[in-house]
Order: sequence, then C-alpha cells, then structure tokens
Amino acid sequence: MSDFSCLVVEDSPMMRQLLVFALARIKRLTVTEAEDGVDGLRKLANGKFDLVITDINMPIMDGLKLVKRIRSDEVHKDVPIIIITTEGSTEDRQRALALGANAYITKPIQAPQVIAKVKELLNV
Amino acid sequence: MSSDQSPGSDSKHRSSDAPLDLAKERETFVRSFLRKGVEYTELLLRENEELRREMAGIRSENTRLRAQVASDDAIRDLLRKIEGLEVERNALLERTTALDASRRKFDARQAEIELEVNDLANLFIATVQLHASLSPRRVVRHLRDMCGQLVGALGFAIYLVDEARESAVPVASEGLDPASVVAVRIGTGAVGDACLTGMSNIRDNPSHPGPGTLEDPVAVIPMMVEGTAIGAIAIVTLLGQKEGWASVDHELFQILGGQAGTALIASNLYQPSLGPVGNLRGVREKL
Repeated sequence: MSDFSCLVVEDSPMMRQLLVFALARIKRLTVTEAEDGVDGLRKLANGKFDLVITDINMPIMDGLKLVKRIRSDEVHKDVPIIIITTEGSTEDRQRALALGANAYITKPIQAPQVIAKVKELLNV
Repeated sequence: MSSDQSPGSDSKHRSSDAPLDLAKERETFVRSFLRKGVEYTELLLRENEELRREMAGIRSENTRLRAQVASDDAIRDLLRKIEGLEVERNALLERTTALDASRRKFDARQAEIELEVNDLANLFIATVQLHASLSPRRVVRHLRDMCGQLVGALGFAIYLVDEARESAVPVASEGLDPASVVAVRIGTGAVGDACLTGMSNIRDNPSHPGPGTLEDPVAVIPMMVEGTAIGAIAIVTLLGQKEGWASVDHELFQILGGQAGTALIASNLYQPSLGPVGNLRGVREKL
C-alpha cells in the first residue's frame, strides 16, 4: 500500500525512465508517468497526487503552463512541484518558481539529488 | 615519782594528760587523715576528670584520625575510580573517533555506491532505450537525450557517413547555430578524422585550452559497426555546471560509440508495414 503518489511529466522516455528508476527507491511512493503537459493535466484530473515533477521544455504544453494550471486547480493547487531545468535556463527556472513551483533540479539529473528533494517536499 | 602526788591525782593527771594528747593526736591524725583523704580524693577526682577529658580528647582525635584515614581512603578510592573512568573515557573517545571515522567511511562509500547505482541506471536505461526503438527518428532522439540529458552536453551534433563515404552529414544538432553545422569531408577536421580512423578524440579537460568549437569539439565519438565508423557524435560545449567528465561519461561514450550505430542500422532495417513478426522473415534461414 502506497502512502504517496507522484506524477512525472517528461517528454523524453529516457529521462522519464531515469526519474521513475530513482523514485522507485523511495518506499511507499507510486509513480505515474505523463508524456507532456496535456497528458499531465489529464492524469491530474483522474487522480490525486502528492507531488508533481515536470520538465520545462516539452511539446504541446510546456512545464511553465502546467505549473500555472496546477496552481489554479482546486484539487491540486497546493501540491508541491519540482521542475527540471538546465543550468542555462535560469529565466525559465525563475518563471516557474514565480508561478508556484517549489523546487528545481538541474540536468543532468542525479538520482540521489532527486530522492533528497522529493523526500524533503513529502516530509518522508 | 613524788610523794605528794596522790595516786588519784597522778592517775587523774595521767588520765587527763595522756588521753587528752592521744585524743588530740588521734583527732589531729584523724582530721589530718580525713583531710588528706579528702585531698587525695579530690586529687583523684581531678586526675580522673583530667583523664576523662584526655580520654575524650584522645577519642575525639582518634575519631578524627579515623575519619581522615577513611576520607583519605575514600579519596584514594575516588582517585582510583577517576583514573579508571579516565581510561574508560579515553577508550570510549577512541572508540567514538574510530566509529566516527568508520561512519564517515561508510557514508562516503554509500554516497559512492549511490552514485554508482545512479550511473549504472543511466547506462542501463540508455542502452535499453537505444535498442528498444525501431524508428531511426526515435533512435536519434535517444542519442540526443543521451548527449544532452545524461552527458550534459549543451551543444552537440550527430553526423552520419554518406553512402559514397566521402563526407559525414549532420542529422541532428542542439545548442549550435544550425547554419554552422554542415557536412564535413571524411578525413578532414575532428569529425572527418573520427569517421576515417574510427578513433575517439576526447579532451582530458573539457574546458582546456578553452571552450570547444565545431572544428575543435571537446569530444568526438565515432559510431562503430563491425569496425567501420558509420558516423560520429561531436560534443562541442557542456552545460555550465559540468566542470569535467564524470566516469560514467566515458561509459556513455562507449555505448554511443559501440551501440548507437547498430541501433540506427537495426531501426532502419525495420519495416513498420510488416510488423514485428513480419520483420523476422528470413531470420531462421540465416541461423
């Protein structure tokens, strides 16, 4: 039985798999995957999540729009959001944080860093 | 004895004299005896009193000395105990220090293992993704992800050798001016040279002697299939936070060099119209 659920929104299958692999090491956490922002919103509408991890650069709906939508969603407006950015995209990161993202992880991602951040936000 | 002395008077004289003296003497003696007795008694009492006091003083002194001896013993015991505790404390401190060192060692080892697991996961996922794709477009996408997301390349280009084996043609690039990413002649420049020789060229220090350029990338990895280079990946610049190569980068380069070509050829041979089983046509005859 899982205590927490996390939604990973990432268009790159490789990155998604890496994130899922890293998150699998946190006990009692279930992970749901979404390929882009729209897919992410769909998954959010059909479930209840304790955490969202999203990439910024994605086709169809990027991470910034997704953060904005989540913050205006009645059910998930308070859910912690971690954004994944590259070192160069400081502007995107600042915008995401201003929109309500709680934390960010820079690429290339390291599993221990992801695990620590998730545990911190979920208080586990 | 005189004649006028009557026997009565003589006897009276004698009886009044002698007894009187004797009585006096006796009385004197008795008085003296009693006085002396009183004096002796008083003296004895005084001496006794003195002796009592002395004895009380000696007892008190004795008690004090005993207490002191006991106290000295107690102090000696305490000192011995303190000494023992000091030894114990030092042993515990040594043990704590050793445990601390051991804990630090284990923490460092755990961090190392965490990193190794992370690296292995990266390599495993990269390999799986590369070979799980049956579309050249997706294979190239995975190559891009491997360079950008796993290696941490900011600017890079992927080249394939043309059929005439005269030039290497760019098929994908990121973080570079598209106009500058052009075909290169085999044997010319870093990419052309890698495609000709099949040898990687990776700078020891990616930021030395300066940032990479297309002509002098920080790393060029030829994609090899059966000893022939079918293309190359040129990593020109790295993400700002990447100060040097990680050990896993070299492993990723090996995957890129040894498996990317095979994945590209396999995905290119796959005919979606035939489906997975249809694409097995002729396999048995070749076994």
